[in-house]
Amino acid sequence: MFALTPMRKTLFTLLLLLTGFFSRAQSEKEITISIQPKFQNSALELGKKYFTSTSDTIQFETLRFYLSSFSFYKNEKQVFSETNSYHLIDVSAEKTLTIKIKVPASLQFDAIHFNLGVDSTTNVSGAMGGDLDPINGMYWTWQSGYINLKLEGISSLCNTRNHEFQFHIGGYAAPNNSVQHVILKTQSSDSIIIELPLDIFFIETDLEKINSMMIPGNEAIELAARIAKLFRIK
Amino acid sequence: MRKLIFVFSILLSLVLAAFVTETNFQFVIPKGFPKPVYDFKKNPLTHEKIELGRKLFYDPVLSKDSTISCATCHSPFTAFAHTDHALSHGIGGKFGNRNAPSLSNLAWGSAFMWDGAVNHLDMQALAPMSNPVEMDESIAHVVNKLSHSHTYRKLFFDAFGDSTITGEFVLKSLSQFMLTLVSADSKYDKVKRGETDFTPNELHGYKLFQKNCSSCHTEPLFTNEKFENNGLYVDATLKDSGRMKVTHNPDDYLKFKVPSLRNVQYTYPYMHDGRFKTLTQVINNYMGGIQQSATLSPQLKKGISFSEMEKSDLISFLYTLTDTAFLHSKIHNSPR
Repeated sequence: MFALTPMRKTLFTLLLLLTGFFSRAQSEKEITISIQPKFQNSALELGKKYFTSTSDTIQFETLRFYLSSFSFYKNEKQVFSETNSYHLIDVSAEKTLTIKIKVPASLQFDAIHFNLGVDSTTNVSGAMGGDLDPINGMYWTWQSGYINLKLEGISSLCNTRNHEFQFHIGGYAAPNNSVQHVILKTQSSDSIIIELPLDIFFIETDLEKINSMMIPGNEAIELAARIAKLFRIK
Repeated sequence: MRKLIFVFSILLSLVLAAFVTETNFQFVIPKGFPKPVYDFKKNPLTHEKIELGRKLFYDPVLSKDSTISCATCHSPFTAFAHTDHALSHGIGGKFGNRNAPSLSNLAWGSAFMWDGAVNHLDMQALAPMSNPVEMDESIAHVVNKLSHSHTYRKLFFDAFGDSTITGEFVLKSLSQFMLTLVSADSKYDKVKRGETDFTPNELHGYKLFQKNCSSCHTEPLFTNEKFENNGLYVDATLKDSGRMKVTHNPDDYLKFKVPSLRNVQYTYPYMHDGRFKTLTQVINNYMGGIQQSATLSPQLKKGISFSEMEKSDLISFLYTLTDTAFLHSKIHNSPR
């Protein structure tokens, strides 16, 4: 998000006034989507040492990912889609875990669709601002493309330097497009909680064998799919 | 009601005009050039943004220890190439594994770097900025450093109407400057425009060029913007697989982006690893040094042969691609 300079503020206020005067504002409401990454049945905490059932340790240092293209469906038909819908979720920045979407007040839906990752068109469209600014560290510099998800930490299972695991999952160009489409059934509500329990990911991913991913490809797609299927409505 | 809206919109545009000081820059497509690839609508050129990009291009603030600027390896006097350096060196004298290419006519580029790893001009600067042997810096830290500079905050405000510096603004202004590096005023261009004529030797060289070279070094940009394996032996120390590194496709093994030949007289040494110092060495390699392999460009399978006379005429023609006005352009040079 960019900060408003005084001049921008003046302009902004003027525009607001104008729109207030002249648009017979269609009545809108705000839907709040709360993203809740979890581990071992409670909110995932960075830096906390978790013990697995085999007495191994897992400690998370980074969990950041893009959720994009939010849309709402009713009876399999799209009834609303958010424009310019790109949200960088960062567990270390509390406020990024809440997404607010303005929708028509009358909106009824039975499913939410979104993507885990950034679409390929945006990946080839040059420099972007806000959540898509490369300044956020979610863009590969040696080879163009957004990092859709970063998951980093330390585990006694990893036979690596400092026992680190580091998953940087990306890739936008076919056949290595790692963006995952997620569909969640839900009831119409102004407040939705989407959980991401990561336990199953670490059951399916053997950290002794796979503990680093830095390039696009089949393995990256596989890892992305393993995470995407874990999203669920609370 | 309508009248009221009209009055208000007039008032609003007046208010807007008072704040926006930007002046548009008209990008001229040289006669005979194709439509640019760069989407100017997403980043409309203004004099303020171009000047800001120019300042950034020449400013070592982009590197970790403030020793390396873009111009360190892309000097304006040699068509923004790194003359004499086979492999470009960056921070702390460390060497990269490829030759810094000449920069011109970037608005027509669709993929950047020798292997096309970068998909858009806006994103190009991120690669050298972050490379540990080039600038060893991050865009986030560059933005942080620039934000502490009163001068830069003012320049960003003048250019973008916002003194909050972002990565997007840094990259877009660098693009703006690079987009203005248009080379289209060489003797070749003047001949094409009917302003002058080739000498008989140059004309003979031009015909040889069209017959033997132009399928890859296609006029008027003198590149087809594709990736080709031009039959170089694999350097044992670099072991550079080229385009395959990016696509993971074995069909792309040893393919590199076809470079433009504009200003080729000054962009030595040649090839992705700068292995040849002279144009004669390059031509000799096309004659006798081609390594046959599965991904070799079909045009090179049969080999090319030139007599000594033909070689000399071909080089005479290549020298007509030198754009002196471009090399000495004051507006491309370091801002004072």
